[in-house]
Amino acid sequence: MNRRTHVALLATLMTATAWGQEVSLYGTTMAQMWKQETPGFDKATYTPATQYLGIDATKLGSDRLSLHLFGWGKVDLSDSTNLDGTKSGGYLNYGYLQYRFDQANAELKAGRFTVNQTTGFEQVDGVSVRTDLRGGFSISAFGGKPVLFKTVDPRNQSDYEFQRDFIFGTRLAWRMGKVGEIGVSYLQDGTKAAKDLPIPSPVDYTRKQVGADILLAPTAAFDIRGRTVFDMASHLKVPGGPERSRIAEHDYTATVKLNDRFALSGNFAERNFFAYFAGTNLPSLFRQNDNDKFRGWGGSATWTATDGVQLVGDYRYMHRETFGDVNRVGGDIRWAFSEKTVLFGVSGHWVNASNTVFVDPAAPSRSLTHKEGRLWGMVTRGKFILSLDGILQRYNSNNPYLGGMRNVYETVASLGFQATSNFKVSGDISYGSTPLAKNETRGLLRAEYRFGMGSKGGR
Amino acid sequence: MARKTVLQALGIALGLGVLMACSLISPETSYAASHPEGLGAGKPICSECHTTDVAKGALKPYASFDHTPTFVKDHKFQANQDANTCATCHAPSFCVDCHGGKVPMKPATKLSNRPDRFAPHRGDYLTLHKIEGKMDPSACYTCHGRANNDKCRACHR
Repeated sequence: MNRRTHVALLATLMTATAWGQEVSLYGTTMAQMWKQETPGFDKATYTPATQYLGIDATKLGSDRLSLHLFGWGKVDLSDSTNLDGTKSGGYLNYGYLQYRFDQANAELKAGRFTVNQTTGFEQVDGVSVRTDLRGGFSISAFGGKPVLFKTVDPRNQSDYEFQRDFIFGTRLAWRMGKVGEIGVSYLQDGTKAAKDLPIPSPVDYTRKQVGADILLAPTAAFDIRGRTVFDMASHLKVPGGPERSRIAEHDYTATVKLNDRFALSGNFAERNFFAYFAGTNLPSLFRQNDNDKFRGWGGSATWTATDGVQLVGDYRYMHRETFGDVNRVGGDIRWAFSEKTVLFGVSGHWVNASNTVFVDPAAPSRSLTHKEGRLWGMVTRGKFILSLDGILQRYNSNNPYLGGMRNVYETVASLGFQATSNFKVSGDISYGSTPLAKNETRGLLRAEYRFGMGSKGGR
Repeated sequence: MARKTVLQALGIALGLGVLMACSLISPETSYAASHPEGLGAGKPICSECHTTDVAKGALKPYASFDHTPTFVKDHKFQANQDANTCATCHAPSFCVDCHGGKVPMKPATKLSNRPDRFAPHRGDYLTLHKIEGKMDPSACYTCHGRANNDKCRACHR
């Protein structure tokens, strides 16, 4: 969609708010400032001013019709924070009209929206519809122009736009009370193949995926949820090349609540990179080794005490075929005192990556193994809100991949003033030491506000 | 004449198709667009109030929507199946804090005054991503694989 069409669409949607009986406008204005001095680069001072703005207008002539808009704009008041050297930017995250029917939880959306009912998480300029059917079935579908982002090489942009001309998807599900839900979905992104270009391209940006998802929750004490995604696109087969799995992803999580206070959960995930990364617009990053595979499993135990204390212990094992194994274990404690006006948290994790390859074969454990600690607190007293947050990653020895540093940390202090229920200002100051900036101080001013009658915006 | 007959046949078929599709639609009344009562601060445990029944529409125990640490981490499954249940409390702008497609700053910076909220990339994630990205690039791909990757392209060309 070209720029003029965008502007015309946005103007039309904006004027539609005039008919809204309940209009809620909310925004956040942020001003940041930091200096950067990186070895090998010029000194730079950054002062970006960012404006987020959202509108929810309901009852547009009918109780069922509503409008939802959200976007942001940014201006650099000194050096540019954009990679291309420009000093401004902006984006419409979503902007759509929605019609909710009184029956069957049916709804219709038109405009720019995000879709996640199929295998992907897609931004679309188009139309989406869903409804419940008799017998516990439901169906949803969407179609339109995919929201495009720049590719790695601008010379390939025309190939990219040629291939990703249309996106559509559908999901059919069946649900049964106190049992759960199963669904099958199909997603196709792009209808033209790379080989159909005047000069056939070796890079395929299109996708065809079939997904199956499940949630079983027979009792309040147990549920299992997850999905399997298959790559259905036809790929050029390299003569003599390996057989590749069509399974892009398995991802399943089970939770058992032993009582009101104690719960256990376990997760298993496996992803075949060739199938999972099919169609990426960043192939240099996500096609590092087409035959690679990731497998991970882990679990957590959560105990919630009566006095607002919550303890979580977690463990995760990750295996990547070309890289090795990583084990991550740790815990997290949270307190919420006096009607949640005092919140406090502490967490610690140990990441053992001693069984890895490729990063530093001579001393692999030195490269990745580290401990992480986080301590934070948040206090609300009257109209003032104070928060402190500190994170430290401590590596086993001076790490050549981290500029010789051993401790990488960041602390953030924030003081806010809630002037009214709809207006709040806050200022943050952060200090940290990282391989990129040894001693970095950043400042941030933030104003959050809301006008109107809506009840959900921002929550 | 033949063309008119074909068009009439198509019209009748389309009409019958629409009627059949309408007869398949559930007669149930849609559930409330918004949660009828305001909720307090923090992550709600739905089953504290809704103790025995299943959520209307979703037909699952309310406990499966309890905002536990596991739920927050794996909420994609519920969002995939029951997006309009999420919408009874959350405006779409809540999701955009992290899932914006293209955002001007990392969620942890935008929410630096809310350490209680789960926000990706707290601290110096630029360093940490060398580790986590090598181990499991599929975790990055969820948000950065096809969108929101301008910053990635600075190094990963």
